[in-house]
This record gives sequence, structure tokens and C-alpha cells, in this order.
Amino acid sequence: MADFLSQYSIQRWLEMCPQGYLEDTVYGHSPELKEPDIVVDNELLREESIRTTVQLVVGERCALAASSGLVNAAPDFPSKRFLATQTLDEARHVEICTRRLFDLGVKEEDLESTIDDFVNPNLVKFAEVLLEKVSDGDFIAGVVGQNIVLEGMAFSVFEMLEAVSKQGNPKFAETLSGTIADERRHVGFGENRIGSLIREHPERKADVEKMQAEMTYHMLATFSDSFRGNRAAVEETRAIAVAEGAEADTAEWHGTDLASASPEDMEAVLADTVLGEFKTRLNRIGLEYQSPPVPA
Amino acid sequence: MPDSDEPGMIANRIEKVRAKREAGSERRHFELDDRGFNEVPKKWRKFYRHWEGDGDTLGPNEIICPVCKVVIRSVKELRPGDRLYCMPCMSRLLVVEADDGTLTTEVVY
Repeated sequence: MADFLSQYSIQRWLEMCPQGYLEDTVYGHSPELKEPDIVVDNELLREESIRTTVQLVVGERCALAASSGLVNAAPDFPSKRFLATQTLDEARHVEICTRRLFDLGVKEEDLESTIDDFVNPNLVKFAEVLLEKVSDGDFIAGVVGQNIVLEGMAFSVFEMLEAVSKQGNPKFAETLSGTIADERRHVGFGENRIGSLIREHPERKADVEKMQAEMTYHMLATFSDSFRGNRAAVEETRAIAVAEGAEADTAEWHGTDLASASPEDMEAVLADTVLGEFKTRLNRIGLEYQSPPVPA
Repeated sequence: MPDSDEPGMIANRIEKVRAKREAGSERRHFELDDRGFNEVPKKWRKFYRHWEGDGDTLGPNEIICPVCKVVIRSVKELRPGDRLYCMPCMSRLLVVEADDGTLTTEVVY
């Protein structure tokens, strides 16, 4: 077993998270911050904020189910220990994203029906591919699906949302910032643990790469629905948000000004960034990125 | 009068001087300040900072972690062969020279 596993301690996690960047926060943000009035009062902005946050809740629920399921599948105790800390990270993400739904006016008794109404079905399929591997007890596929594919996607999506929110919605931006800090450890674990395991089990490569292609297909379909398939709402909400100061009038991210880019350009820069990261990360650990069929 | 070994001796001396100069070209040292990176325990925070995006530049003692994208900062100028640890993502890295002569890192698994 690689000795790097010894660093995965609960003590280190305590020092970095609860006693570090989460110190003095409430649900992931400074206690005095709240959603901007325009986001809560404008029905279109509110609905689109709920739509976005529902996808985050569903993604984080999947991550919670996967990381907790992988604890029992892990072949060594340091990995179990790390995944236990990741389980708590993911549970926190579910909680803070759910709390945002309440802050946006969703009633507690309407939570599940709101999620059902707004969730993107392609995101559900994405989660199902991963959770099938986890329920089979497949540690290698599960960690690649969870800590490289899902977390790699989340890393870029959160960064993009943070860039858009930084100026106009510091509460949401702070919540995302703490989540991104958690994701750094999760992708680090994915690469480091699987980087060594895949060398010991090269026979697993084909199956894992097939899962990656399936997950990537559903991810791209989710992006397509969220931008091109939701064009009018994307453009209208952005115009209102920029005019009312709830979004920056410029928000540069990977060379694209998100405040003025078309929905197609926003989808393209997000997909390009995520896929670029997938290729680089998979290549580093000895896997070859598999292109999925392009969603219709 | 120089003896017959002179050319070889000079070449040898030049090599020694060159090696000495290279060995003597001490790495620059840097005083690190806390840049507000709060994702690691306090005593290690000065060794990291966030990448600020377009317009940001790396110092000779800095390099980006390829796994988690934070900037790792060293108290001395970085050179190929240096080993680094990225605490935010817990990755071990080796500094290498890229084809274009810039420094980059490889993840050690």
C-alpha cells in the first residue's frame, strides 16, 4: 500500500475543514450574508435559482450515496477513513444546498416535489450509472466515477457558478468556495488512490472507461438541457440579474465573459473545460478518455 | 612552461569552475507571507495561494498543482527534481522541465 494513504486522517480533516475554512460559517457562509432581495423577489430569477440549486442537491445526494457506499468496498482502512470524511463533506453539501432552496422560499414540505419538478432527467441517469457500480461493490469503478468524473464535473461547475456569483451574490459564492475546497481533497484522493490501484489491476481499464463514457454522455446532455434547452430563461434571468446587480456585468472564466456569452458559448466553455480536465486526469492515472456519442 | 597535459588540464579546470559556479549559483530564497489561503492548517497557509486567473503570474518559487489548481509556494527557487507536497489535495509532486523550458509538475502515485 502506498504510504501516502497514511495522511488520510480524521485529525487532518478536522484541522483543514471545521477548524479551517468552515470556522465561523453558518451553512457554509458568513452568518450575516443572505440571498439578494432581487433573487428572492423576482419570480423568474427565483425559479431559475431553484432550478440550478436542485441540480446541485441531486448531484450531492448522489455523491453522498456513492461515498458512503464506497466505505464498505474500500480495500484498506486509510481509504475507508478518507471516504468517511468525504461522506460527511457530501452530507454537508446536501444540507447547504437544501438550505439554499429554503432560503429561496421552498417550503420544507414541498422539498421533494420541488426536486422532482426541477431535476434534469439526464442528471438522474448520470447518477444511476455511478450508483450501480457502487452497489456492486466495485471500488475502482466507483472511485473513478465518483472522485474523478462526478467531482471533476462538480469542480468546474462550482467554479463557473462562483465566478458568476462573486460580485452579486456573495452568500452563494462563499457557499461554493467552501465546497470547492472540499472537492480539492476528493479529486486528490481519486487520482492518488486509483493512480496506484489501476497499475495493479490493468484488466479493469476497459470496464471503467466504458462507465466514464456513459457518465460523460449524460453529463453533456444535462449541460445541453441547462443552456441551449433553457435559452430564453438563461438570457432573461441574466439580463435581470446584471441590471439589478445580482450578477457581475463581467465575469471572466476560462477566457469567456460569462456575463455576455450566449447560452451556446456558456455550454461550450463548461463542456470544454470539464472534458479537458477528464482527459488530463484520466491520462495521468493510466486510463484513456472515451468520447461518448454526442447528445441530440 | 606548460606541460603536455595542459589542454586536458584546462578543460578539466573549466569544467570544475563551471560546476562550482552552477553549484554556487545559490537558489534565491523567498520570504513567504500569508495570502489568505485558509484551506490548510494555519502553520502551512503561507505555502499556498489561490490562482487569480488571467493576469496572475507565477514567481520562480511557485508552481500550480495539476490536481487541484492551487499555487504551491516554496521558500526557495524551484528547480527540476524538487519534490513538493500539495496539502489541499494531498498529492505528491515532482518538478520537471517541460519541452518549452518552463517548469511543471508530475504527480507521484
